[in-house]
Amino acid sequence: MIRMSQVDDLFATAFNDSVHAGLDKVLGHSGTEAVLVHMKMADGFPDPMEFHVKLLALFGPAGTLSLEKAIVKHLTTGRSLEVLEIDGVLDFNATVSSVRRGANALPQAMP
Amino acid sequence: MTTQEVDAPAPVRTNRQTKTSRAESSELAEARIPTLLGLKQLMNGPIRTMLIKGLAGTGKTTVALEILKAAGKGNGAYISSRVPQELLETHIPAMKETLENQEFLDVRLEDATSALEFVMRLTDPKKVKTVVFDSWDALAKEFDSKERLRAEKTLIAVSNNSGAQLVFVSEEPGATTIDYLVDGILEMSTVEEQDRAVREFTIHKLRGTKIPQRKYLFTLMDGRFTFFEPYATPNYSEIRKFTPVADIDEAYSLGSPALDRLLGGMVPGSTLTVEYDEDVPYFALRAIELPPIINFLAMGRSAILLPLPGANTGLTSSVLTRAVGEGTPSDRLHILDVLRSSDLETTSMTKHATPNEIHEVVTNETTRLRKKSVDQAMLHVNSIAALENLFASDLDSLLEVTSQEIITLQQSRDAHILFLPANSPIRSRILSMSSSHARLSVRDGAVVMFGVKPYTGIYALQHLDDPILPSLTQLV
Repeated sequence: MIRMSQVDDLFATAFNDSVHAGLDKVLGHSGTEAVLVHMKMADGFPDPMEFHVKLLALFGPAGTLSLEKAIVKHLTTGRSLEVLEIDGVLDFNATVSSVRRGANALPQAMP
Repeated sequence: MTTQEVDAPAPVRTNRQTKTSRAESSELAEARIPTLLGLKQLMNGPIRTMLIKGLAGTGKTTVALEILKAAGKGNGAYISSRVPQELLETHIPAMKETLENQEFLDVRLEDATSALEFVMRLTDPKKVKTVVFDSWDALAKEFDSKERLRAEKTLIAVSNNSGAQLVFVSEEPGATTIDYLVDGILEMSTVEEQDRAVREFTIHKLRGTKIPQRKYLFTLMDGRFTFFEPYATPNYSEIRKFTPVADIDEAYSLGSPALDRLLGGMVPGSTLTVEYDEDVPYFALRAIELPPIINFLAMGRSAILLPLPGANTGLTSSVLTRAVGEGTPSDRLHILDVLRSSDLETTSMTKHATPNEIHEVVTNETTRLRKKSVDQAMLHVNSIAALENLFASDLDSLLEVTSQEIITLQQSRDAHILFLPANSPIRSRILSMSSSHARLSVRDGAVVMFGVKPYTGIYALQHLDDPILPSLTQLV
């Protein structure tokens, strides 16, 4: 039996990994590290909303959309979750929450 | 025949003029137009990211610092991966104040991640307007190609979003990933011009900006970046009354402090040959031709001018009149137009005058004008091209007569200036008879001048203030 706190921890780890992987794919390792250090999010689980706001400040709407798409794509890849359609506009916070809810509903799907 | 009258003071001899750097600096300041090409656009327009590339010692850092300076006090940041601030200020003292006024980040011992984070920190709150990364490749070499491209895209995305301008300095000669990402590319180089090294930059790219010319000469005189646009014809409507330039010790002044500094004036009895390439604009030659004549007249002396082919004698007279002042033209100047039939008629020569006949006219005029010179000194300014055009079939005679003239003038202690086309068939003979030899050529549209004999540095010739007097800025 998996407890909710374990699910949260698992999701936090998965989200953290996806943030790194998504940013890394676009910005490279140094760019990713620099961004996370700059956002003071190098350690630990970033709050999606705060993360989104900081990305916007640094990269603007277009850059942020590209980065968030890469993060969400990584977050949902390989899971038996219905990937949300991302068509130009992405509500990062809502999307991450949705994925998290899906994770709660399907905890066995988490890696 | 054209004559002009001059009310002139007695000549004054003074000690050799000191080589004032003040005059040179003043000229240089006027030449420095920081609105060049993309540099202005970099400050205000569509150019957000610029790559300045070139081999070591070609002036990249100075140009980058000029851009930083233009950002305004406190609006720029300099990220150095090569030298500490103190050393950079020692290398380029003229930029000490700029460096002190802007943020300086020494990332020599930092990794690439830290350097990227510096840029984000500088640009995120729109803290600075311009960031110079000198040099980017010193850090980028730590990356593999894919990682490098991503790091560069990160920097450019951050820069684009913040509105800050990002200037990358690179010593990598070939095209790298950053070449494709930036809005503008300037390449600095050192090239040979007439056996002298000059600096040149090439505009490879300037997005959204018309590039009127791809290559320009520039100098780092006084530790500042000064570029040279193509030679611009002087505006003779702005001629001012000429101020006579006193003799320099035992030498006659060339009428221009800049020319005197370059060539040291004209020793009495000497022949100065001014050699020029075929693409040197006519007005640039006049900038060498007219000041000595005007100065001789203004000093109360006499002169004979055989103008360059195509010269407008009326315009020449008009310029001389306005420069020397009311009371001109005088009978102390003879402008000999050997191609004009009226001149030949007044001198009782046939239309097919020989070199010896021309020489005779000059000799007679010299005798007449010498009496009118306040100290019997005369200036002879002759165009070899004009004589060659006239005596193309008899160049040996022309050479013989020119040789006689040089010897005669040596004995009389007159001054003699010859204008010699570089492709003249009698070039080597003329030069072998010349006491001094200056050369003019054109590079990237700019007129450059230097002394061959005596050997001098190379200078860009412009008209910055006075349409008559040339301004010479050393190319260093």
